[in-house]
Amino acid sequence: MRVLIADDEALLRDGLARLLEDAGFEVVGRCGDADALLRMVDARRPEVAVVDIRMPPNNTDDGLLAAQEIRRRHPRIGVLVLSHHLEAHYAMRLLEEVPERAGYLLKERVSDVAVLADALRRIGEGECVVDPTIVSRLVARKRARGPLDELTDREREVLALIAEGLSNAAIGERMYLSPKTVEAHISQIFMKLDLRPGADQHRRVLAVLAYLRAS
Amino acid sequence: MVYRLVAWTVALAAAAVTIAIARAEPSDALAGDSALALVAEVAAGLLLVATAVASRARTGFRVLLAASGIAWLSGEWNSPGAGAAFTAGLVLYAAWPPLLAHAALLYGDRRLRRSDVALLAVAYADSLLVLGAGSALFLDPRPQGCFDCPANRLLVSAEPELVAELGRAGLYVAAAWSATFAALALVRLTTATPARRRVDLPVLLPAAAAVALFGARALHGGERGFLSNDPTDRALWAAQLAALALVAAGVAWERLRARRMRDQLAELVVELGRSSPTGGLRDQLARTFGDPSLEVLHARDDDAGWVDGDGRPARLPRDVHREVTRVLAGGRELSAVVHRPGLLEDPAVAAELADAARLALEHERLGAIRRAQLESLRASRGRIVATADAERRSLERDLHDGAQQRLATLAVAIRLARRQLASEDPQLDGELAAAEQGLRDALAELRELAHGLIPAVLAHEGLKPAVEALADRSPRLVVGDVTAERFDAPVESAAYFFVAESLRRCGDGDVAVSARREDGRLLVRLEAAAGIAGSTIDLEDRVGAVGGTLTATAHAVRAELPCES
Repeated sequence: MRVLIADDEALLRDGLARLLEDAGFEVVGRCGDADALLRMVDARRPEVAVVDIRMPPNNTDDGLLAAQEIRRRHPRIGVLVLSHHLEAHYAMRLLEEVPERAGYLLKERVSDVAVLADALRRIGEGECVVDPTIVSRLVARKRARGPLDELTDREREVLALIAEGLSNAAIGERMYLSPKTVEAHISQIFMKLDLRPGADQHRRVLAVLAYLRAS
Repeated sequence: MVYRLVAWTVALAAAAVTIAIARAEPSDALAGDSALALVAEVAAGLLLVATAVASRARTGFRVLLAASGIAWLSGEWNSPGAGAAFTAGLVLYAAWPPLLAHAALLYGDRRLRRSDVALLAVAYADSLLVLGAGSALFLDPRPQGCFDCPANRLLVSAEPELVAELGRAGLYVAAAWSATFAALALVRLTTATPARRRVDLPVLLPAAAAVALFGARALHGGERGFLSNDPTDRALWAAQLAALALVAAGVAWERLRARRMRDQLAELVVELGRSSPTGGLRDQLARTFGDPSLEVLHARDDDAGWVDGDGRPARLPRDVHREVTRVLAGGRELSAVVHRPGLLEDPAVAAELADAARLALEHERLGAIRRAQLESLRASRGRIVATADAERRSLERDLHDGAQQRLATLAVAIRLARRQLASEDPQLDGELAAAEQGLRDALAELRELAHGLIPAVLAHEGLKPAVEALADRSPRLVVGDVTAERFDAPVESAAYFFVAESLRRCGDGDVAVSARREDGRLLVRLEAAAGIAGSTIDLEDRVGAVGGTLTATAHAVRAELPCES
């Protein structure tokens, strides 16, 4: 799988490249700022770009802005944003326009190559991935009102796992449920969130989006 | 008081003498046998005396005006029926014009110029010495055909030719100085500032007319060598009488105007005592003095410049079209009135400003200064908070860009080392795994620390995402309707810290937060079922630093922050 790495810290960039290469990824480019990232994506067409949220020139959310630009220019290229920020709002900004092929993980996952590799593969397959820490905090939050009020606790748990990027089978394992029960929960969730039947993968993404929006 | 008594006594006595003389020999009187003309003649003189006595002008003007009125009454005394007053009549009959001219030149607290003094010297000398006393020394009326005339008690030697020469010369000189005075008065009026003209015109113009008519009479009698009562003389005399009445009216009107202004200012002072309208003094003074562009400024105690009635910083204009009058107390400038040039040349206005408006000015000044000080305190508090916020943001950035990046890089380095060592030394791998986990925990802790300083999301994304992030960390915070609008950084910071700090003081249980923009203010409200404990002074400081207010009840706190955009 062809990936591109953008981070302004050279040592981290190189270390991450070696970790991913060891895990079987092909690193087609490395760069340290948002402009170079956009140029390199145009030229080398990776399958997924791994982007640090804080990069020159402004060192605020340049990485996120560049990621949004990549989504607009190349809808088939996935983006995984690594961020210092726990706020769901940033993830929302990334996923809002085009929810497929996008991921938002906290920066401390950077050395956990298993998590990274899993996220990159899911993104490559068209899913969206949100950091479990962010998702679990969303589950804990009290809400004034919203579409998620319709969901039972069990359904909300399932939705959270979908948001983390788990497959039906993995959700079944995690919750000790049969695949049939998991599917029943998921179709209940789709119905309550008013997601009409269509491509199943797409509906999963939309459900996650609804989940993030409600936060 | 004595002056009034003397003036009235002399004036009434002179009037009585005049009436007696005119009634005794109507054919020789200027008033003739018309009772109405006589009443008008006496009335004109007495009116001058009355207005002079009642006027608030300087003593010089008042004495001269009264003297002019009395001298006017003596105009009938140099006639055959005058009896004991005859000699006085010979000396005084031409005295009123220089007295009136003198009074008119002093009117409005003016000082005599050198040219005025010269003109008046000629006028007095001509009227009193040449036409008056000078002629009297040599005039014996009886040999000249006035067999009924009383004796001239000043007579030294009867010199008919000399008297005729003196009379002709005196009358031509009188015509000349009268014309000069009238011209001078007209020039003064046309070149005066509007305010000055408004004061001068009612008195100076009729006075110039009266004196000019006297000059005309002198010219008319010049060849003859004496003033008489032929039809032309009488017509001019009647016009003089009217002009004198107008002079009296002008002086009286000025007195009324001053009183009206005083009343208005007195009302203002009472008004200011009742309530305290900011800037109301300016409007009142502008109305009273008839200058809509008038401004009132006050000096700050600390010599830190000027403020207007509302306490806003202001500057004294450096503009030739504006004039600044400073109000002093104990040698210190307290206030300044900025107005169009010449306004305060009107002595009545200046006097009223100094007297009646003084209290009002002082009252408004104290209020204005207090407001200015409050504003500068608020600004300084705002700067302190803004500096602290900037420091927090800079620290937050340093943590992210420095420490967090390093720790993440180290974690990657350890993972790389583990990959190489894992198969060879399982024990070392375990230790490295623990170190890696430690780094991850440190990263999470650093993130919380940075967030606690000031959430990056507040600056990047605004109040709503920042409050939502707060709810992620404190699940009991229920985010209600919070506006997604962006506000100025100081307002957003104040609102966020208000929510975060209030939340810490709320008892157990859910806390609802809402925020909306309304009428140029951001209203933020927290409601806690379990109540809110503790002091709110630091919250008030934080909110007050951006000009906001805080209201707290047992179960809710509310902040109002101005956010005019």
